[in-house]
Amino acid sequence: MSQFKELAHNIWKGRSGYLFIAPGYLAFIAFLLVPLLFAISLSFYRSSFDISARQFVGFEQYIRLASDPVFKKALINTINYTLVIVPATLFISLVIALLIDPLDMRIQSFFRGAFYLPGVAGGVILSVVWLWIFNPTYGLLNYVLGFFGIEPVLWLSNAPQSFWAVVFVVLTFTIGQPIILFLAGLAGIPKDVLDAAQVDGANDLQKTFFIRLPLLRPVILFVLATQTIQVFQLWEVIFMLTRGGPYNSSTSLVYLIYQTAFISAKYGKASAIGVVLLLIILVVTLFQMRFWKDTDL
Amino acid sequence: MSEMPIKYRAAEKSVKLIGFIMLTLLAVSFLLPLYWMVTGSFKLQTVTMSVPPEFFPSNPTLENWVKLFTGPWPVWRWVINSVAVSLLTVVLVLLISSLTGYGFGKKKFPGSNTLFFVLLSTMFLPNQVMMIPLFLLVRSLHLTDSTLGVYFAMALPMLSSPFGVFLIKQFCSTIPDELLDAAKIDGASEWATYTKIVLPLLKPALAALAIFTFNQAWNYFMWHMVLASDKFQYTIPVGVSFIARTPAYGKTITDIGLSMAGGTFGAFFMVIFFIAFQQYFIKGITFGAVKG
Repeated sequence: MSQFKELAHNIWKGRSGYLFIAPGYLAFIAFLLVPLLFAISLSFYRSSFDISARQFVGFEQYIRLASDPVFKKALINTINYTLVIVPATLFISLVIALLIDPLDMRIQSFFRGAFYLPGVAGGVILSVVWLWIFNPTYGLLNYVLGFFGIEPVLWLSNAPQSFWAVVFVVLTFTIGQPIILFLAGLAGIPKDVLDAAQVDGANDLQKTFFIRLPLLRPVILFVLATQTIQVFQLWEVIFMLTRGGPYNSSTSLVYLIYQTAFISAKYGKASAIGVVLLLIILVVTLFQMRFWKDTDL
Repeated sequence: MSEMPIKYRAAEKSVKLIGFIMLTLLAVSFLLPLYWMVTGSFKLQTVTMSVPPEFFPSNPTLENWVKLFTGPWPVWRWVINSVAVSLLTVVLVLLISSLTGYGFGKKKFPGSNTLFFVLLSTMFLPNQVMMIPLFLLVRSLHLTDSTLGVYFAMALPMLSSPFGVFLIKQFCSTIPDELLDAAKIDGASEWATYTKIVLPLLKPALAALAIFTFNQAWNYFMWHMVLASDKFQYTIPVGVSFIARTPAYGKTITDIGLSMAGGTFGAFFMVIFFIAFQQYFIKGITFGAVKG
């Protein structure tokens, strides 16, 4: 009884705290938590445009997804996009950041801006110009490749190329953010540590491998985690360049969710795909968090 | 080792020079698509389809820009829509995040840790999953029937901002408790403490959050695409995507020059915004990821 009284007293004492968090927490419940739970429940229904007429079907959506070739293709593509784009982004941005780091502050901020600028313009805008660059007959890319004796490539209308075209365009704007993070991380490395290594006769390459990279570990893990989640949600470049085609060769899970929910109005099926994506991201995040634990962030 | 340093230094210098040249080449190639888009907007249709391509427009034309501004697309309306949606989102996110972040950062109440953990654990969820129920909600409330309703609907999924709450909570921990206690002793109400003491101290964090949120809201493409039902409701990215819209697999491009003018027009606002607020962009990105 006294325990209950104490809790009630503490709640009453902390009432201003509850009032302060109320607006944000109500928004969180209304626009994130409830929609999330509703989406999960919707995945157990068959539903078309009029969702009030939805029918409960249990796990049927999931069972059907398991033998759906388009879903399988989207799932495999999403994993492939992640396996290609995330390491490439990490490597390219790390190299660029290491090259920028020793320069003067003013030149640093110029390069930092230059590499971040495509990301500011956004994937949609960049895709507009890439549609032209990828054009097989009068696009810039095939013209340049012609100098190396490469025959014109049908970038967007042939099967393996469309996947790589999407990868390429995504890489032009994902590296900006990691570069900024790595530069901030590099700037935080204590100067005396590097000087001590210098005195010990370490060259620049040795300093990079034995001091800079180990100290950047937390930032690298952070970039790895955030980039993975972002690439799992890859959509707009596919929408702009290939519409998932040809024959679903460049589609992704999120593109399939868009298509299923907002073009075909199959809300139950789309929710089921969404739940699968959610579970994958959950597993990957939990897995990566095990690495986080080892570093004191 | 003692005879080596001079040699090393010379080698390091040349390595740095090679690095600088490599960086310049890389930067140029990453900016090339943007250059191609801007110059393309000044090329005639025949020139955009000519081989070899013209690297610099020899006969620059304003035809595409005239078409863009006088054609059937209400491009200035899209600017108004984008600015309205982004500003509305920023105002609501700042209000909500600052209140909630302060509550979690400085107030003690039973269950605060659990509540915060639940909020934070949703930070990395794919928002496309929540879009389906939110879309059904917006549809059943007929929010897209009015302009104001569309703006609010477009801001809706960003209102729950775990990142914003997290950022403000972390920033609040730099505010000394003594300061807040002193205000209490002086008889300031909870609300006065928040508006007169906490908010001014939060200014740098709020500025970074504002810039970050504005950019995010501006590029919230899928949600805008789903909601906008006619061309007067498009935001800039949606409108530009319609101008450049091609049949599947990119078989034909209708009007390249016009597309490039649209793309340039669409990129212009965010690029200016970025140049003006570059330092806040960087603060927003590096916050939480890098110590210091």
